[in-house]
Amino acid sequence: MSLKRIMTLDELHNYLHAAMQLEHATIPPYLTALYSIQPGTNSAAFHVLRVVVVEEMLHLTLAANILNAVGGAPNLAREGFVPLYPAYLPDGETDFEVGLQRFSREAVETFLRIERPARSPEESQGLVRRQRVGRGLLPTFRAADDSELHFYSIGEFYQEISRGLTYLQEEKTKSGETLFSGDPARQITPDYYYSGGGEIIPVSNLETAQEAIRLISEQGEGFGKRIYDYEGELAHYYRFQQLVLGRYYRKGDAPDHPSGGPVDVDWDAVYPVKTNARLADYPQPSELHAAAVEFNAQYQGFLGRLTQAFSGQPELLLDAVGDMFRIRETVSRLMRNPIPGTSGLNAAPTFEMPLPTET
Amino acid sequence: MNATSDKPHRSDPADVSASIYDVVIVGAGVSGAIIAHELGRNGFRVLVLEAGPGHDLTIPGYEQYLSRFYAATSKDNNAPYPPNRNAPMPRSTDVRRLQPGEPDASGYIVQNGPIALDSTYTRVVGGTTMHWEGKALRMLPEDFEMRARFGRGLDWPISYEQLAPYYRQAEFELGVSADVEEQAYHGIRFDPGYVYPMRKIPVSYLDKTVASGLNGAEVSLRGARFTLTVRSTPQARNGVPNPRYDGGKGYVPVGAVSVEQVEQGERCQGNNNCTPICPVQAKYHAGKTLIKALATGRVKLLPQAVASKVEIDPDNGRVRHVEFKTYTDPGSTEHATGIARGRVFVLAANAVENARLMLASGLPGTSNLVGRNLMDHPFLLTWGLMPEVVGTLRGTQSTSGIQDLRGGAFRRHQAAFAVSIHNDGWSWATGSPYTVLADIVDRQNQFGTALRRRLVDQVSRQLQLAFMVELLPDQNNRVTVDARYTDPLGNLRPVISYGLSDYTLDGIAYSRQLSRLIFQRLGVEDHTTYDPLDYGYISYKGEGYTVRGGNHWAGTHIMGTHAKDSVVDGTQRSWDHENLYLVGAGSMPTTGTSNTTLTLSALSFLTAERIRVGLDKDRSPATIAAA
Repeated sequence: MSLKRIMTLDELHNYLHAAMQLEHATIPPYLTALYSIQPGTNSAAFHVLRVVVVEEMLHLTLAANILNAVGGAPNLAREGFVPLYPAYLPDGETDFEVGLQRFSREAVETFLRIERPARSPEESQGLVRRQRVGRGLLPTFRAADDSELHFYSIGEFYQEISRGLTYLQEEKTKSGETLFSGDPARQITPDYYYSGGGEIIPVSNLETAQEAIRLISEQGEGFGKRIYDYEGELAHYYRFQQLVLGRYYRKGDAPDHPSGGPVDVDWDAVYPVKTNARLADYPQPSELHAAAVEFNAQYQGFLGRLTQAFSGQPELLLDAVGDMFRIRETVSRLMRNPIPGTSGLNAAPTFEMPLPTET
Repeated sequence: MNATSDKPHRSDPADVSASIYDVVIVGAGVSGAIIAHELGRNGFRVLVLEAGPGHDLTIPGYEQYLSRFYAATSKDNNAPYPPNRNAPMPRSTDVRRLQPGEPDASGYIVQNGPIALDSTYTRVVGGTTMHWEGKALRMLPEDFEMRARFGRGLDWPISYEQLAPYYRQAEFELGVSADVEEQAYHGIRFDPGYVYPMRKIPVSYLDKTVASGLNGAEVSLRGARFTLTVRSTPQARNGVPNPRYDGGKGYVPVGAVSVEQVEQGERCQGNNNCTPICPVQAKYHAGKTLIKALATGRVKLLPQAVASKVEIDPDNGRVRHVEFKTYTDPGSTEHATGIARGRVFVLAANAVENARLMLASGLPGTSNLVGRNLMDHPFLLTWGLMPEVVGTLRGTQSTSGIQDLRGGAFRRHQAAFAVSIHNDGWSWATGSPYTVLADIVDRQNQFGTALRRRLVDQVSRQLQLAFMVELLPDQNNRVTVDARYTDPLGNLRPVISYGLSDYTLDGIAYSRQLSRLIFQRLGVEDHTTYDPLDYGYISYKGEGYTVRGGNHWAGTHIMGTHAKDSVVDGTQRSWDHENLYLVGAGSMPTTGTSNTTLTLSALSFLTAERIRVGLDKDRSPATIAAA
């Protein structure tokens, strides 16, 4: 999919679908690293990864709320929603690889790049003309002259959504209508979602939509030059940085200089899982292969359940908690077992989603 | 400063001995934490002495308890908490069958009988809320007036109506999940428009199955008819916040206790080991209140300090100081003695330890009632197999129960009781699922797929009912001390005498009959058996029962209207020592059929208010004099 400047409701929907896809796309890499940590070890790293995953789920839900508010229909179960890893995110003039890998220094470096995208040097521009290296997690941008451009970073992508929302609402207001005509019953409210990591915002107007966008785009990298975001939450970038610097941040600390207690990381207490594993890596038939297929079906089922929850049945989020336990159990079955013939690499979930059945 | 520990909030013995606090509290459990927080945030300087170690307010500290629990062979209530020679705690695994006339001193508590009681408590920061199940039911209005209404037990000096505002504070502090419309029964009244902080915890499939077979069934008891209803249980664990709470302001659930931002414990995930420890801290424990108290900057915690004596000024009866013994290593009895001085003293060490400390200090009270009227809730368990798989072991340990026989005119003659439906199957009664697994492997020689199938078949149909039966105050049930029994620090150990009256035994016998009726109606195959060799086995009117303790220690310093027949007044202030408060379930003259924590938390709010007003009065003239 390539996107154009948001001038119509359809284009806004496309952007918001892309936003949901993007917010989800970081979850499989984070989950793979999280569950590769051997149980009972690396408490600090486990909690850091866990809270970031939870907040990515919050962002995904906020994107769904905005889409629902402007009359869209979230669909996480459709083909291509989950990318094939490795995929790529832009970092200014280059792309970097986002893959499924075990918890390691290298993985944390990638996570830091995900959470702190570079900002375009020129405020107004935000788009660059360059070659792509591979499957991008951000769609390309189709300019008015039909040439293909790239967002400089995730920040520019959300800036465009923010601008588009304001523009379309102004247009609608002129004709006495509103952009926010979605069914309020499709909003996810704090009843069904909460964590310490910021509260879910039901979206009903431009103000709440912008608030949601701000929460999504600032929770990663912090608010202005500070390490805590607007809600007083330690930004993801700095949460990860604690693992590299070996120390917790405290309120009042300057960026890069945490002054809290020590963070102990045992980089070896990790299952040696294969990076970007594929179903084809597992012998067939084998229990490993069967478990990997089962995982993908479970995950697809989970995304289906979320789709229903985002379509007017928020109470299904409670059942999704059970799904997440099952997902964890299956991942753990895979990760504890070596892949035959790899001299010491363990299995991992592949996140290759089964194709929807033909109708 | 090491931020992964709670050092910034800790005091040391030298500092303590050199200071005079506004309030000295013995015990960092739920009562102590609430009172410390209330007074600290109102500007008073508070010291909390805690017998156990103080690493518990960090995630790594909490996780050590979890790992210990996971690795333990016995999953009893104190399994997560390391043995501590200097602050020993009772464990159910220590209890043996008693021989008449021979006290059993093999555990920390010396059991004098006639019945061996396997109730426990936990001596760590957070106290017994570290292992409690989290049930948070209010007492019935009639529970406060047992003598007046039924000619049984004792009356409280305060009424349900007087306690109601403090119940609301306690439900906020503990974070209770329940639906008001389901909880207004047997005269329980709520203010118009009141809602609990969070909606009820979703009930289990097992609950729903039992409800569909049982709701509307009629039973008769002493000439009255009762209709049974399966009702969800109010619980102090995080669920779905109610946006209508506090006039529409809503409620923000309190997650895991930590100095660092971890964002865990926001919502119950349905792990099945609430007791003895919630893996994600979705269940309330007193550490959540204590960390707020410490954050006021005016509350200091001195862990590893075991209160050993309450020293009284013989001229005026006021407490001079509390003597304590501090140790550096839980494995060594090497210790130093210190004193804590203050204007007001609060004993919040639980019903057994409060009484033990007073008696060890030679303070049985004018009424001679310190230690007497010891109460607990005896439990009768019954268990069987449902006709179909009902998903046992899913959800939190218990989400519903039957409360219809908690009250009624029959209480003139026999004990009331509450019933819990257990989502953890026969765990309490038989040690399932571990024992079921051992049985299938060792005795049925099954393995692989057959083993898995049989395990599912035998575990997922399990139904266990727990009947929690009322026990009235009885002066012969008591805590005493005896110079022959001391702990390694030289502190006198509690000696308990405990028996059940016919009033309670009739309630137990009726419970067994009712369970047969319930099983019949549900098509349950009854597997209940009571082993005559079990330490809790008793015979009554020709039938045998095994009775378990409920860990609801109460009644050792009951409140009343006069120094002659009670130990404390309606604000938990000692009649004999005007600057001393004895707080907790020990102050309750009766406990009805409510788990004690919610009510003792409500009482703590009431007492904190009383102490604050008293200290404010003390303070005002002093300020004027200074000016």
